[in-house]
Order: sequence, then structure tokens, then C-alpha cells
Amino acid sequence: MRKKTGIVFFPAFDWSISDMHPEREERLLYTRDQIFEEGVLDLPEIAQYPPLVATPHDIARVHFCVPQVDDQVLAAHRIAAGAAMNLSDKIMDGQIKNGFAIVRPPGHHAMRVVHGNRGFCSINNEAVVVEHLRRTYGIKKIAIVDTDVHHGDGTQDIFYHDPDVLFISFHQDGRTIFPGTGFADELGGPTAYAKNINIPLPPGVADKSLLYVVDNLILPILEDFQPEFVINSAGQDNHYTDPLGSMLITAQGYAQLTEKLKPDLAVLEGGYAIESALPYVNLAILLAMAGRDYSHVIEPDYQPEKLVESPQVTDYVHRMVANIQRVWEKSKAITIEQLCGSNKFYQRQKSIYYDTEYFEEKQLEKVRTCTKCPGYVVIDSHAAQPKIGRCRVLAVSIHNRCCKQCIEEGLEAYNEAKKDYRYSYVYLQDKTQDNFLTFNREDKSELRTEG
Amino acid sequence: MYIGIDVGGTSTDAVLLSSGRVQKTAKVYNTPNLMTSLLQALDSVLTGVSATEVKRVVLSTTMITNLIAEQKYHPVALLLMPGPGCKLYKFRDADVHILKGAIDYRGREIRPLDEQEVLQAIKEVESKGYSKVAVVGKFSTRNNIHEIKVAEIIKSQKPHWQVDMGHVAGGQLNFPRRIATTMLNCATKEKYSYFVQSVKEALNKRNIVNAQVFILKADGGTMTLDSSEQSPVETIFSGPAASTLGVQALTPAGETSLVVDIGGTTTDLALILSGQPLLSSKGVTLGDDLLTQVRALAVKSVPIGGDSVVDQVGQELIIYSERMGPPYCLGGSFPTPSDALNVMGLTKLGDIERSWQVMEALGESINMSALEVARKVINLVVDTIAIEIENMFLEWEQEPAYRIWEVMQKRRVRPKNVVGVGGAAAGFVPQIAIRVGGMPVLPLYTSSANAIGAAVAKPTLQITLRADTEQNKFSVEEDGYQGSINEQPFGSEQALNLAKSLLVKRSEKMNISDEVKDIEVTRRDVFNIVRNMVTTGRIYDVCVQTPRGIQWHVGAGGKLL
Repeated sequence: MRKKTGIVFFPAFDWSISDMHPEREERLLYTRDQIFEEGVLDLPEIAQYPPLVATPHDIARVHFCVPQVDDQVLAAHRIAAGAAMNLSDKIMDGQIKNGFAIVRPPGHHAMRVVHGNRGFCSINNEAVVVEHLRRTYGIKKIAIVDTDVHHGDGTQDIFYHDPDVLFISFHQDGRTIFPGTGFADELGGPTAYAKNINIPLPPGVADKSLLYVVDNLILPILEDFQPEFVINSAGQDNHYTDPLGSMLITAQGYAQLTEKLKPDLAVLEGGYAIESALPYVNLAILLAMAGRDYSHVIEPDYQPEKLVESPQVTDYVHRMVANIQRVWEKSKAITIEQLCGSNKFYQRQKSIYYDTEYFEEKQLEKVRTCTKCPGYVVIDSHAAQPKIGRCRVLAVSIHNRCCKQCIEEGLEAYNEAKKDYRYSYVYLQDKTQDNFLTFNREDKSELRTEG
Repeated sequence: MYIGIDVGGTSTDAVLLSSGRVQKTAKVYNTPNLMTSLLQALDSVLTGVSATEVKRVVLSTTMITNLIAEQKYHPVALLLMPGPGCKLYKFRDADVHILKGAIDYRGREIRPLDEQEVLQAIKEVESKGYSKVAVVGKFSTRNNIHEIKVAEIIKSQKPHWQVDMGHVAGGQLNFPRRIATTMLNCATKEKYSYFVQSVKEALNKRNIVNAQVFILKADGGTMTLDSSEQSPVETIFSGPAASTLGVQALTPAGETSLVVDIGGTTTDLALILSGQPLLSSKGVTLGDDLLTQVRALAVKSVPIGGDSVVDQVGQELIIYSERMGPPYCLGGSFPTPSDALNVMGLTKLGDIERSWQVMEALGESINMSALEVARKVINLVVDTIAIEIENMFLEWEQEPAYRIWEVMQKRRVRPKNVVGVGGAAAGFVPQIAIRVGGMPVLPLYTSSANAIGAAVAKPTLQITLRADTEQNKFSVEEDGYQGSINEQPFGSEQALNLAKSLLVKRSEKMNISDEVKDIEVTRRDVFNIVRNMVTTGRIYDVCVQTPRGIQWHVGAGGKLL
């Protein structure tokens, strides 16, 4: 028998940011109604699964939550991430061919260090799945393709120095929309160069140009990288009716995109036209994943003559695709030495704005430029988050493929910081041992997540 | 006094109960004339009793199930308004016409009807010779204006046609299931109406005039005989529901049992977990392809029974999945498992000599004695049923209610009691129980368990309420009653309370207010009305029903073998 498409539906009807916020309780209500009314769950190609609950350990594998996982994470977050994890398990053990986690809250703006909620996101659901897959199944190469109208800056941040995770994001140009990042020159750190591909699109892109980007850029890059697992951060705010985005994509466009991309797992991200887009786009994506006819899924207000892309936009997109193609081709020959000479560390400064809670975080991020392994990352972060006030933390992340020397250096960095009075909390993420520690300066305690 | 009547595929069983005790039972083999069987059965149980003292009659029937299984229903034309969404597939051999109107999830009209198109469809339907039409729209339960308009147009053009609408068939969101349910209601109404008329006439002829008459639903609840005419499909699987309630009544309270009801035509499997019949979380599926919205106990009908035809093909014996009249021992023309039971000495049905003759004849060309043939036939039946039980357990174990029960048991076990009921149970169930690793139980009145189940069924009532806080209105689906919402604030709790109070009022009217103690909530749905990203109102859908169940336990738990 042909394998089915798995679906987990977790609409979190009791979670919202605020009464007037677009990320609201009923965001998936009409999607649910549409899917139920269509009888999709009765289709022989569809299997529904319950969500799992991600543990603090699963989350600590990705995030440094300040001060602790439980302070930043609600049940809804753990269930949304757990839903995606559950589907990934079903795919890996061969029960289903692919899966769509129709969940909220979303996650792709959540970065490695979490001081609060950014862009409606606290926990990066896709990143939790990536680390779960690596730890549980020993998968090496994973690709994440982010199709939300907003740049997946959280996912970019988490995997910026990870050569094993290819992150491709197309989105509306950061000069015109939150979060203001995602330019083509953000290509990844020296140990993971060109494993971060941004495709900033001008406002007003319609189906045809988007599919041009997929055919001529995304698919060839995926073909080169040969991922063992492909995750789609399936944001639906490129839809022509979305109140936040300015794109012209239709439900049919999303379905064709999905059909071409063939993701193993799609995880719902944004999409705030809860009436005019979500019920139709979600249905179209689901049918496309299940290999069913989606040609009748057409928005009630669809008028093709209103969705015409300007020739300038088409031209711009074609030129940009050609540019990024060149960068990708050239990147294959570039070495770490060329990128940062004999410097032991590559470092960058970041300031991160938490738009939901209105505060800023300052970060200094360093990666060990090792030629034998992906290196370890040290992050010095400070912020004045509303929950605990001003605080500075240091976090060390050791990649699961780190060499012996990098592991030792990483551990030493953690132990040194424990002695440094400036840091209220010091974190260690040792993925080689699946060991995650938090040192609390105030009471000198060291907590280890269980898992 | 209470009467239970089960009109099965082979026989009509009746039972008279008085204060929880079985006074009389009757079994009448069906004749083509339903009325004759009903009258005979009533006469047997009513001897020496004053008919006017009968307070309640509850029926169960496999009539609709069999009509649908054998596709002997009337042809139906479907006028569908699917709007945007999934592509529609075939609904058996129904004549499908797609119309333009469309409603969305909020109940808004997103595409108007094209009346010319409706008229055109009527012409086509007529030219193909149909006179029964089902009109179903996507999201019609959220707004029925298109369905009503199309039905009106049909009625104005063809007053004699039978027209059924989707929003009447069931309130749940599931367009394909709503289509199938509406189509089947439309297709079976006329034949079912004959059944209802026969029952009414038979009761009248026997002077049963003071009784309320109910028919058992697939979920073990009841509806009045009159209201059942609107939705005959609700009676599918009322036969298996009756035997399940029967076993519930004939075994001690709180028992966990596998129910194996071996009748003449089919064998029905059901499960009682700690005294409660297991309800299916999905609507009934008929055949392989017809998914309905009918709520039902988790039962399965296997097409094999005491009267199935046994045949010899080459060196092998096989059993056909259909009944061709009574067994040979009762004057039929084919050998059956019932004859095999007679030969093995397990039953004494009809003319035992004839059973020997037919088994012998069957064995002649394959060099087997009558006894060997009989043993082989019984093994075949037992094997078939045991395999179906195993398959059914795999399905049962997926049911959320089963999983909850399993958790409460604190261990992974399957029920040990294999309770056999039905005419052929005594001969087969002991061996089936051994095969599936259980303990065979044959309760008292084993061959009348279905009629007893009908007689002890509690009458149930249901109310489907829709309250709209933006318009401050509510309506009741069952009787079309409408009112305005006076309470402020009006939330999910208030909606539920309103539905419950309406249910109590209705039960008082029907004189069954004693039953309204624990109200069961069968559906609860709320959806927000959002304008410009602000919630401006909510719509509450609430469906409540008086609890399904049995009025008495009959007997002391059956004979343990």
C-alpha cells in the first residue's frame, strides 16, 4: 500500500499574544473547519496523529532559554514542537511518507538565545526537529526551506555555523518588512559558508516568478547538497490577501511549490489572513503532499487579472536568481582559510530586537574556525528582559561533530565563565554527549536537563 | 409492560417484559409479508395479556442495513454545491449534478446560486427518469439558504418528487459524509415508510394503543417511530445495537464482554467495556465506499450466519456470504451451517433427518461422511468468525474510548468473556471462544437477546442547538424552534445550559422526564465571528442527548459453560 501523509493538528485555541494581535486563538479555526468539512481526514491518503509534548531537554538541545526553559516556554510551545517531532518520528520509522504539522505558535523567528517572544515565536519548532533527528536517528544532512514571507532569522541564527544544515529562505525583502534581515550576503559563518541562502524578493511577486525561483535556484541547490531530510517552514503570508505581507501568491501557487519541493515535513509558520487564505492554502498544501488533486482549491475572491506581476519585478527576480546562482557555484571552491585567514575565531556582533515585548538584546557571537570540525560557538548575550530585568549570560554550544580539541576548549570556556562575576547565568550545550547545563551564579547551582 | 421487537434478515423476534422480567418470547420466520410476521410475533407474546397495558414498544431492524448492502434502494440524483475545495469523487452510481452556489466556513455566501442552472439540472434529472433528489451544499450546516432555495425550485417544478436536504441529515462538518447520508436517506425513505406503516397497522390491529413506539438507533439510543421516517439511515445497525444492549442486560452490570451475535444472515461483533458498549468515534461506513455521519456503536457485521449456503467446489467446501432461504432442515433447498450443527448434535432445529441427508449428499463426491462434512463446515464458520474478531480487535484498539478503558485497567488485556447470542450461537460460540482465547458465555434467552435489547433500551431524546451571539438568536434543529438570547454574557457554558433546559422541556412533553438525569453532550462546537481582526460574536453548536443505556438487567448473568 502507498504510504500516507501524516497530519497533526494543534490549533492552540487557548493561546494568543493579545486580544488584538494577528497571532490569535482562532487563527486556525477556519482551517480546521475547511479540513473537517472537506472530509480530508477520511481520505485513504491521510493519517491523523496526536501531538507529543516536547520535553525541556528537547528544547535545551536547541535553545538557551534565559533563565530556564520553563520561564520562556508554555505548554502550547512544547506541544507545537512536539507535534512536529512526532511526525518526524513517523516519517523516520516508515509509517508515513511525509507530514504536515498544522500547529501554532509558530517558531522561525526564535533564535538560539531566548530572552522572550520575537515575531510571535518563542521556540523554533523546526530546529527542535533537526536536533531530535540528529540525536535519535544519526541523520547528518538536513535542509530547511523557509517559505514564509518573513525572513526566518531565528532558524538562520541557530544554524549559521552549522555546515550540516542547509537553510534556504525566500521572503519579502528585509527593507520592506519585519525582521529587516535576510539579505543575500548573509551566507553563513566560515565553517558553514554558503549553507545559509537568502533569497530576498521584492514586494509584488506572483506565482510564476516564485516557481521560477524554486525551479532555478532552490531545487538545484538542494540537489547539490543532497539532504537526507527536508523540512519546510511553511508560512502562508505570501498569500495575496495577507495583511502583513505584500506578495501575490495563491493557494494554487503554494500547492505547486509544495509539489516541487517535496518536503518530508512541513511545519506551519505564519499566515494571518485567517479567513481569505489559511483555509484554502492549508488545504491545498495538504492535498499536494498527499498527491491528491488540488486544482479545485481556489480562493472565493480569486481574480487573476488583479494578481499580475509587474515586468520590473519579474526582471529583478530573474537577475537576482542569476546572482545567487553564481555565488553558490563559487562557494564550492572557497576554504575557511580564504574566509578568515589564520584567525582562531570568527566573531560578529548582533543586536536583536524583541518586537513583542519591546526590548533589545546585545550579542557577541564567536565560532572556533576549526578545519577538522564545525567548531564550537560561544555567545555573550545581555538584555533587559521584562521577566528578570537586566542580565548578562554566556552560552557555549558544542556541535555534535566537534573534534576532541574543540570539545575540550568548549568545556574550558564554560568553566572559565562560571568564575566570571559578570555572567548571571552560564550555559553549556554539549551535543556530543547530549548534555545541557545551566550554572546559576546567585546560588552557585548547576542544573542539568533530564532526557 | 414493554415489548421489544427485532425484525432481522431471517426472523422476527419479540419479547414481552414486565418489571424487568421476561414474560414471553417469540421467534417467527420472516415471510415476504412483513405484517404477517409482526402479527404472529405479537400474538405469541400477547397471549393472556391485555394489550392496552403495553406502555412502550421498541423496535430494531436490519431492514435499512440490508437494503443498502444489497443496493436495493431507489436511484437518487445528487444536486451538489461543492464550491472551492477538494475534487468530488463518485457516490456509488448516483447521478451527480454540480451547481454553482457556494457557502464558506462562516456561512457566508461566496458564490450565488444560478437558478437557470438549477432548472437545467432538473430537466436532465427528469430525462434520466429520477424522481428522488438529494440537495447538498458544502458548509450547508452553517448556512442552508442555497439548499432550501434549490429544494423550493424543485418542489415548484416537480411537486411529486422527493427532495432531501443535507443540513437536515446531520449537523457535523463533513461534506462527503453529509452527501452519502442524505443520499441514503433519500434512497430508503419510501421503502422505510412501508415498514413504519406496517408496524403502526400491526400495533393497531392488536390494540396496542397506549404505547409510545420507538426505534433503536445505531448508537443504542432511540428515536420515535414517527421521527425516524425523516432519517431512516439512523436505523442502520440497530440490529447489532439491539443484541449489544441485550447482552448488556443479560450479563451482570460492569462486565466486559465480546458480543458475538450469530443470526441466520450475519454475525455481528460488538464490545462491552466495563458495562458500557463501545461507541465508534467515526460515523458508520457502509460497504467499502460509503462513509456516513451516523453515530454508531463500534460493531461489525460479518456476512456469515446459520443460513449461509454451503457448497462444494472441487475437493473443498466453501460458504457463500449470502442467504438463499431457510436451512435444509427447515424446508430450504441448500445445505447450511445450521444443518451441520444438527448433524453434530449441537442443535435440534427442524427436521434433523433432512440435515443428515444434505450433509451426506455434500460429502459423497469427496469421499467424506456426513459427520466429517458437518465438522468441516463448523470449522470453516468458526475460522471465519475468529479471523474477523482478530481484525476487529485491531480496529477497536484504535478507538480513543478503548484506549481510555485500557488505561483504566492498568494492563493490556483483551476481554475474556465471549458472549454468544442469536439463533446459531449455542453451536458455534464455545469453539469461537476457545479459538480467540476467551471464556464462552451463553446467557439465558440467548436466541432472543436482540428483542430483549430493544425492550430494555432507554428512550433517548436529543437537542441540537445553534446560538449566534452576534444576532442574539438561537434555533433548535430537531423542531425548528427559534428564540432570542436573553442572557448576558452568553458563553459556552450558557449555550450548554440552554440546550439542556430545552431537552428537559421536550422530555416533559413526552413523559420521559425521569430519563433526563445525566445529559450526554454528543457535540460541542464554537466558532468566532471576526471582523477586521476583532471578535464580534460567537456561534455555539451544541448537541445534547439523554443518556443511552438499558432500563434493567434481566436474569442473573447467564449460564456459564
